[in-house]
Amino acid sequence: MLSSALLAQTPTLEDYLRQAKEQGLAHEPVWLNLVHYDRTGPADTPQYRSQVDDDKFFLAENGRRDSVAELEATLRGLFAEQPQGNQHARCRFPARTAWLQEQLAFGAEQLPELSCPDYAEWRSIVKAERVTLIFPSYYLNSPSSMFGHTLLRLDPADESHSEWLSWAVNFGAEVVPGDNSMFYAFKGLTGGYPGRFNVEQYYRKIQEYNRDENRDIWEYPLNLSTQETERMVLHLWELKEIDFDYYFFDENCSYRVMELLEVARPGLELTERFENTAIPIDTVRGALENGLGNSRVYRPSKASELKERLRYIPEYLHPRVIALSHSTDEMQQDWFTALDAPMQARVIEAAYKYLRYRQVGLERDPAAAKTSFALLGALRQHAQALPREDTIAPGPPDLGHGSRRLSIGLGQAENLDYLNFGLRLSLHSLEERGYGFLQGAQINLGNFQGRLDEDGHLRIERIDLVDIFSLSPRDRFFKPLSWKVITGLEREWINGRERQVVHVNGGAGYATELAPGVQTFALAMARLEHNSQFSHDLEPAAGLLTGLLWHFEQHTARLELGAEKFANGVSRRRAVYRHGIALSAAHALSLEFERHWGDVHHSTRATLRYHYYYAP
Amino acid sequence: MKKLITGAVLLGAASTASAVAPGGPNCGWGNMLFAGQSGIVYHFLASTTNGTSGNNTFGMTSGTNGCSTDGTLTYGGKAMVSAMLDEFSEDVARGEGDALTAVAVAFGIEADDRATFARVAHDNFEVIFPSADVTADHVIASLESLIKADPQLAKYAA
Repeated sequence: MLSSALLAQTPTLEDYLRQAKEQGLAHEPVWLNLVHYDRTGPADTPQYRSQVDDDKFFLAENGRRDSVAELEATLRGLFAEQPQGNQHARCRFPARTAWLQEQLAFGAEQLPELSCPDYAEWRSIVKAERVTLIFPSYYLNSPSSMFGHTLLRLDPADESHSEWLSWAVNFGAEVVPGDNSMFYAFKGLTGGYPGRFNVEQYYRKIQEYNRDENRDIWEYPLNLSTQETERMVLHLWELKEIDFDYYFFDENCSYRVMELLEVARPGLELTERFENTAIPIDTVRGALENGLGNSRVYRPSKASELKERLRYIPEYLHPRVIALSHSTDEMQQDWFTALDAPMQARVIEAAYKYLRYRQVGLERDPAAAKTSFALLGALRQHAQALPREDTIAPGPPDLGHGSRRLSIGLGQAENLDYLNFGLRLSLHSLEERGYGFLQGAQINLGNFQGRLDEDGHLRIERIDLVDIFSLSPRDRFFKPLSWKVITGLEREWINGRERQVVHVNGGAGYATELAPGVQTFALAMARLEHNSQFSHDLEPAAGLLTGLLWHFEQHTARLELGAEKFANGVSRRRAVYRHGIALSAAHALSLEFERHWGDVHHSTRATLRYHYYYAP
Repeated sequence: MKKLITGAVLLGAASTASAVAPGGPNCGWGNMLFAGQSGIVYHFLASTTNGTSGNNTFGMTSGTNGCSTDGTLTYGGKAMVSAMLDEFSEDVARGEGDALTAVAVAFGIEADDRATFARVAHDNFEVIFPSADVTADHVIASLESLIKADPQLAKYAA
């Protein structure tokens, strides 16, 4: 009697299995998030498939596709006596354990006694009570990073802690060393790489982004509670050394970060709108719009820092800064001794920063190390006199115009009026409102323009699959190349009528800043064109592109002059003037004049368009 | 005067430290100031993976890589100081900065004493960084001696 009464009081594993089935736990959003299931099929008979591509992550044999079996296997695993230690289900899946305990109301004392040394060690190292969303800014020199990146930082509650020692949680593709970037782009698009989470100290990320890649970092402190943060950390452990499918556009770093936030705060719906593309800055906006945060911290790159410091030093001293970065003997010269103490300190600091900037990515150079050390000693001597200013942050990326753009406008080409309409999937052109974007970085992927002519014809005006322009002015200190890559479909006048041509262009050159906000550039270009009127399928051309870009208040003027000559003798010249007027972050007007000079035919086109920006 | 004395003490400590290979044979703290990066391959990997440069870490250090862990700092702490030696040297020269704070935290120095730590390090810049070829191991040993010698910081000495 007594024993049966006890049994009645203490439910067995079988009772919990039944209860879990009755409650439909295997279909609960929290469970689906924890196992990363995608739901497919009709609502009444849902089908699941986990985005995790790793047998280690599933306890049921068919757990990747069977949510019910996986939940059952997890419950059985929790109550099992074997295996002992780190491999036990309870040690491997602390988030699943906590949630099932909560849902089925059983205490830890009902589970077999157990210690999880690896997990315990990890928890003693990774202190996490607050979470910060991190956005390393746009980086054009790598296809995988041009849209920026997102990761999370776990911080302890203590405000006086060192953020450098906080833990960065990063999701990235595990690339086999030796693969090149082109290959990465291709394999990334097709899910050819597994993606994994890794956890390392934040200073490594600062070094990677601020120093090695010279990218500004934006930090968004989130308002997750200690309990919500704990939930995320429990789940993070479950993802240790677990492979996900990695896709560049959708199931990427930003998507996984959003998933972690959903695990932290059940009920949040962040990933739904990013099922097709998850552009990092859009996911940051999504998090902020969902009430996860409302402030931001700017962490300038080494180059931004140096540029800022140079602004406090008069132009005539700039050549001296460079000379000093080569030799501290300059400090004996009259030009240096004549400066007041604060300016001496500024000049030394800038010379030191410039020298270190030049050494990034290089092997140790004993001569440069010696000069660096001498400058560091000088900085130490002059530190008292060094004025300290806070860095002035540029426009934050989340306040830039939306990534997607819808356009409508009126155009006229050769006395033919037409209605112009367009959709651009991402992201930014130089003549648009630059606030929040990387200066001189044009990144357009998937720009479609159609037109309806007055005679009722519907045509494709242009398609830019990839349109990247990195316009980086050169000056005394910085010597970047400017470059441009554009491929897609456009219309050209050939043999008496306008025809569609498919093209690929690439080029490189120099840009300089004539005055603040006024830049000019010249690029040598190469072009391959597929054109029904040419005798070869692909006709190569060489060309030149020069232009001027002028920002003034909410206006941007962009003038480009281009010429190209094909191997078959055909030549073209063109002049394009684009004037952008930003009305707000969401609305803009643009006016465009285009004049083409062909061997026979000349054409003119004018378009006035209205643009609406939004985040998908 | 006090500075001179600490300096002398430290020079002694430093010469002892450099008599043995820094941190033990093949130990990462032999890292020199301005160590640089291993060229293009390094950068290339970092920028294409969106991840770490090839190593799959999860916040745990496995073992001590054959490095000696005597002193105040744990293996992780020493590896960290070694990895941020450049930033730390600049912060010490200036007398403030994030790397200086991070190193203070690694030594267990409480928020209230960090300004003192920063001042002591700044005042003893030439002791901590005697040359361009100084190693992380020497920097750590010097800091430990400075902490021990300072009345306010001595409580953090091992």
